[in-house]
Amino acid sequence: MKKFKILGIILLALFVVMVASSCDKQKDQKKEATAEQGVRTIIVATDATWPPMEMVNKNKEIVGFDIDYLTAVAKEAGIKVEFKNTAWDGIFGGLSIDKYDAVISSVTITKKRQKNFDFSEPYIKAGQVLIVPTDMKNIFSLADMKGKKIGAQMGTTGALEIKEVPGIKLKSYDEIGLAFEDMAVGRIQGVVCDTPVAADYALQKEEYKSKFKIVGKPFTDEVYGIVFKKGNKELIDIINKGIAAVKEKDIDKKLEDKWLR
Amino acid sequence: MVEIKKQADDTTKHVTIDVGDGVAIPSKKDRGLFTAWRVAFFGAIAIIAGLVISSPDPYWDILKFVPDGILVTFQVTVESILLALLIGLFTGLGRISKNPLINGIASLYVEVIRGIPLLVQLFYLYFALGRIVNMPPMTSAILAMSICYGAYMGEIFRAGIQSIPDGQMEAARSLGMSSSQAMFHVILPQAFKTILPPVGNEFVALLKDSSLVSILAVSDLLRRGREFAAESFDYFETYTMVALIYLLITLFLSKLISIMEDRIGIENE
Repeated sequence: MKKFKILGIILLALFVVMVASSCDKQKDQKKEATAEQGVRTIIVATDATWPPMEMVNKNKEIVGFDIDYLTAVAKEAGIKVEFKNTAWDGIFGGLSIDKYDAVISSVTITKKRQKNFDFSEPYIKAGQVLIVPTDMKNIFSLADMKGKKIGAQMGTTGALEIKEVPGIKLKSYDEIGLAFEDMAVGRIQGVVCDTPVAADYALQKEEYKSKFKIVGKPFTDEVYGIVFKKGNKELIDIINKGIAAVKEKDIDKKLEDKWLR
Repeated sequence: MVEIKKQADDTTKHVTIDVGDGVAIPSKKDRGLFTAWRVAFFGAIAIIAGLVISSPDPYWDILKFVPDGILVTFQVTVESILLALLIGLFTGLGRISKNPLINGIASLYVEVIRGIPLLVQLFYLYFALGRIVNMPPMTSAILAMSICYGAYMGEIFRAGIQSIPDGQMEAARSLGMSSSQAMFHVILPQAFKTILPPVGNEFVALLKDSSLVSILAVSDLLRRGREFAAESFDYFETYTMVALIYLLITLFLSKLISIMEDRIGIENE
């Protein structure tokens, strides 16, 4: 009896493995099919926790300015894009081991990032801005926040800027939304993030807009780029052509009106 | 988690099934494991030293970046385990209580907490309850960890207490002790020997689970590693170092526990 049981378990295990592998095959066939039709599909990672640039909507779809923008670029360039939601602190790691072809996730073009990755032409301007609770007085810049705790998303340019100012304690979060929530309950006294995101949280979101205010003007000038693995010149050229076409047709202006105004 | 069975009749050998989340506690009687411990421990030290010396950039930078994270990891672990032991003791006593109300509360606590993932509990305590009770991240982290592990500890205490033959309680009571005197002076000291190995195991498991608190922006070892990797893009190097440091700490602790077991003379037949 025991032997039969063991045999049964082995057969069951084999069956499971077979089903699993046949599923894989189906997937592969699908990929080949799209390739045969001549439309190339690239997979692009985005950290969809950065409204209104990239976020997940109520229907669990990834939406936002970056998503619409890259879809338009791809259409002009004659390729297809598939978006993949990826945590920010590992997003560049996944790119360097070929988990996806590119990253569009409000990535500021910095020297350090350029050393490790290649960027497309810049596609939009942004800057870092400080957000504080509305009842906070006499704060005009980051330097006035000495001795206070300020939050930012881990590994973003905002976090790097906070580190530059001595005397400020940086708290780094997995998602920018968690930093805003922590500020709403009073555990931190400020948040630094990109202008579009700041506007979304401090001016748009119902539960936050009476609680937060943006301090002054952005204190950095930054441009976003689409990120590629070092040396992927062929794909960068395709995307850059698409970016040029989108600029020419003023599609980017329309998208900015849709998402950022 | 952990289940301890002991035949009521002491002439048959008692059975200990010990399957925990922690690393196995090395004992001199288990040759294979003892050797594996030494290989892993000294191997990890050798690899860390080798990496730091052969390519100080980035390995030495990583090693300089994470020490405050190690301290935080230790702080969370030690404070949580102490609180969890206290919660576990009362839960264990509650679970064997004949008072239906106390028994019911203790059992409900164990059922509810064991049914919710620790990560969800951490989020719940910090972000969901954050609007009502504003606790600093460290406090929420320690509280969530000890509430979670207190439930597991409760089951260990219960099993440990029940492993002591009924005759012990009867004898103590017939000597004129009250039932709580008998529990604290006769039963628990004996049960302590049985529960030390699984408690040690929980300690090591808790240390590893403490990496989950990095989600609350508590700057523990894992979080320091993630912060380093997110800015330097040295993912392989950073997580190799983080993994090796965790391994070193857990191996070191499991050794400490095995020495402690030897001291109080737990026979591992």
